Amino acid sequence: MTAQQNDLPFYEPAGNEIDLFEHAHRNHLPVLIKGPTGVGKTRFVAYMAAKLNLPLYTVACHDDLTAADLVGRHLIGDGATYWSDGPLTRAVREGGICYLDEVVEARKDTTVVIHPLADHRRVLPIDRTGEVLHAPDNFMLVVSYNPGYQNFLKGMKPSTRQRFLALRFDFPDAAREEAVLIGETGCDEMTAKRLVSIGRSLRALKDVDLEEVASTRLLVYAAILIRDGMDTVEACRASLVEALTDDLEVAAALDEVVLATFGR
Amino acid sequence: MEEWIGGIWDRWITQTARRDHPEAAVHLKDIEKTIGVLFRALGGDAGLRVAAAADTTHGARRRLLERIAGVHERTAHAALDMETLRLPPRIAVFPAPTFNRDLYIWLAAVAGSAGPALAGKYAGEWIVRNQFAAWVTLQRYPGLMPRYRRLVDALLAERIAPEKLPEDEAAQERAVRQALVEPGTVTELPPLTRHKAKPLQPVPLWLYPAPPSVAAPRKKDPQPGEAEDNEQPKEQQAENKRYQANRDELPENESPMILMWRAESIFSWAEYLRVNRALDEDENPDAGRAAESLDQLTVADGEQRVASKVRFDLDLPSAAADDLLVGPGIPLPEWDWKRRVMKPDFCRLQTMVAREAEPQPLPERLRRHARKLKNQFAALAPVRRWQKAQPEGTEIDVDACVRIYADRLAGWHFSGAGAYLNHRPTERDLACLVLADLSLSTDAHANDEQRVIDVIRDSLMLFGEALSATGDQFGFYGFSSLKRNFVRFHEIKPFDRPLDAVARGRIAALKPGYYTRIGAAVRRSIQLLEMVPANRRLMIILSDGKPHDIDLYEGRYGIEDTRMALIEAREAGIKPFCVTIDREGAGYLPHLFGPAGYTIVRKPEDLPDRLPLLYAQLTGNA
Repeated sequence: MTAQQNDLPFYEPAGNEIDLFEHAHRNHLPVLIKGPTGVGKTRFVAYMAAKLNLPLYTVACHDDLTAADLVGRHLIGDGATYWSDGPLTRAVREGGICYLDEVVEARKDTTVVIHPLADHRRVLPIDRTGEVLHAPDNFMLVVSYNPGYQNFLKGMKPSTRQRFLALRFDFPDAAREEAVLIGETGCDEMTAKRLVSIGRSLRALKDVDLEEVASTRLLVYAAILIRDGMDTVEACRASLVEALTDDLEVAAALDEVVLATFGR
Repeated sequence: MEEWIGGIWDRWITQTARRDHPEAAVHLKDIEKTIGVLFRALGGDAGLRVAAAADTTHGARRRLLERIAGVHERTAHAALDMETLRLPPRIAVFPAPTFNRDLYIWLAAVAGSAGPALAGKYAGEWIVRNQFAAWVTLQRYPGLMPRYRRLVDALLAERIAPEKLPEDEAAQERAVRQALVEPGTVTELPPLTRHKAKPLQPVPLWLYPAPPSVAAPRKKDPQPGEAEDNEQPKEQQAENKRYQANRDELPENESPMILMWRAESIFSWAEYLRVNRALDEDENPDAGRAAESLDQLTVADGEQRVASKVRFDLDLPSAAADDLLVGPGIPLPEWDWKRRVMKPDFCRLQTMVAREAEPQPLPERLRRHARKLKNQFAALAPVRRWQKAQPEGTEIDVDACVRIYADRLAGWHFSGAGAYLNHRPTERDLACLVLADLSLSTDAHANDEQRVIDVIRDSLMLFGEALSATGDQFGFYGFSSLKRNFVRFHEIKPFDRPLDAVARGRIAALKPGYYTRIGAAVRRSIQLLEMVPANRRLMIILSDGKPHDIDLYEGRYGIEDTRMALIEAREAGIKPFCVTIDREGAGYLPHLFGPAGYTIVRKPEDLPDRLPLLYAQLTGNA
């Protein structure tokens, strides 16, 4: 158990999400995590997998991902074929968390395999081998998506989203974000404070001057560069300013925000 | 000769006496955007706008030479109020441009980070408030400290030293210097003792109390949608500068027999009288210059013009001057929400084409932007790419073949997937109809230079360029209405014609007029979109306000009819999306378009930029 504890990835809870996840796991309910990019969705799942001592199968969904990619395929070997499980099948067979990241990106036909697994049936039919797998008690399906993009061609069907418990992740408050930076990178408290202050300043510009705002991940990048001895202003420019905007005038203003905090 | 010598003297003395550094001047208009973003990032209210401040006479002591030359009499102070952050239109205090720019940055930072503290919560003398603001700013953004130090040092060198001032003024000057060097240490400004003492020299690092607001409650607000008199004096429009003004009651003349002023006194521009000028049609050519030299303009709420007292229907232009009608009117139904019935053939929609629309090229000022958009949007255009697992194609899909072969060997024979790769353009197959609101309210000013209609024109021009680059099918239409029998539906760029000089000419000829009967226009747009062969259909509505017409089409009736029309659109497989500049839109738009079906552009002038971005967002990864 102690060895297990040491392997836990760093995670700073925001509220009762750990508790909720454990309840969901105990009661075999699937979980949907939504929130903007870089606020710790993936980290949270990794943390929970370690905490519950479950293997984690992560699938980053993309627009070419089909149901077959999740379920598995036949491979040819020495005059014979072998069935090779996809990540979802493996998770169902062996137990564990199957985490579908950015699930709305995947092709529509993936819902065929997600739906029976996500409701009370908890089965995975594999048409190629004729099997019907029943998920063991320690199997859990977790999906995530970023609801920020107003794209009418992409979205989650109500029939899919109503099969999941939903957790909303958002940018952490200042104290928690500082704790994240310190815990994640080991930077000093002052640097963390200032980086968080920059992050919060930039977040005030959402939807007015910036489309996407500084995620905790970007702040972590900046902290890593600074800890590694890079000049603070240069580090922020590379990790924050240029990552957020292509507009020269806006970039100049963001530069000023950095200078106002770290100036010389 | 005299004049010539005078001119030379004036030039010489002005140049010698000037203490500012015009060669190092930094202009607000050059860094306005940066300043605005910075102001908001450091905590400023996103609803505020950044504007140029007016020059005011400061009355402070000047050097002898300056007095002789008559320069530095007036200066523009930075100020913050509920609606605007006013900054000097140009700063030339320091000899180095970087310092002048830093001063702008500092002012924006103070206004952003300490604005709320300055505005009200923290009472106290002006000098104390400013020290507090500087202190708060430096605490929150310690990185500004070195810059602040540099600015203070440079500023102190520019100011008249206390040793050269009379005693009481020197005491004030010393207090200001200490307050600048160590903010928070001065608790009050020593009083001036002599009668003739001059006020403080301006402190460009501090925010001054906002000039009295002109936004004092007006007695009579023009009815929305009614014919508003939007004509501003030409002079004032040209000059992108605010005047300090206060709003005053027009002195009431109770007895017509008594003169309100002493007849022998001579009036200057600065006084005002109750003179019946309401019907005065001519503009006074000198008014602009006079306004320039006044410290304060007084604006009185008088009677309204005779014409605007009467709520009247807008006259239609004579048939010869109006746009061309195309075909007979199209009957369209309308939804009556109270009776919950669709009233068939209730409206008559008239398609129109602009009469005198000269074909024209893309305006020069938009070209650069258009080129950029075109390049960006070419990326959205259908590209040829390999499609996997197709039943037929030019190449064998090895991956698919292996899969099928393996499935076969494993005894699975029903693989429906094809085994070929096909190289063909992926079809976006998208049709987009843009429906622009051309009602009279678009005649209102979006900012100092542009009216809403100008912004809509620019948006359509640029959006058209962007859409042409994607290869999507698109059409532009505009609408306005005058009661149910005359819904004016302007054909700007139909689906079956390219965006050419003719279409651009029609965009340029768009005129605001009449009202907003949006339901009928949406219903016609549905018909048009249904005629276009496309898989996905998108209807973008550019609006600036609520549905409204002068018959019963207003309030709930208008909104419910619009809602019904949009429901019909969705049933027809069309995705409606609304882009509005109506800040109050959040009140009724979710009801019409759903939470993700609309966006509010806070600053109308951003519309030309935002529209293409929005389209990319809406249709990306299609």
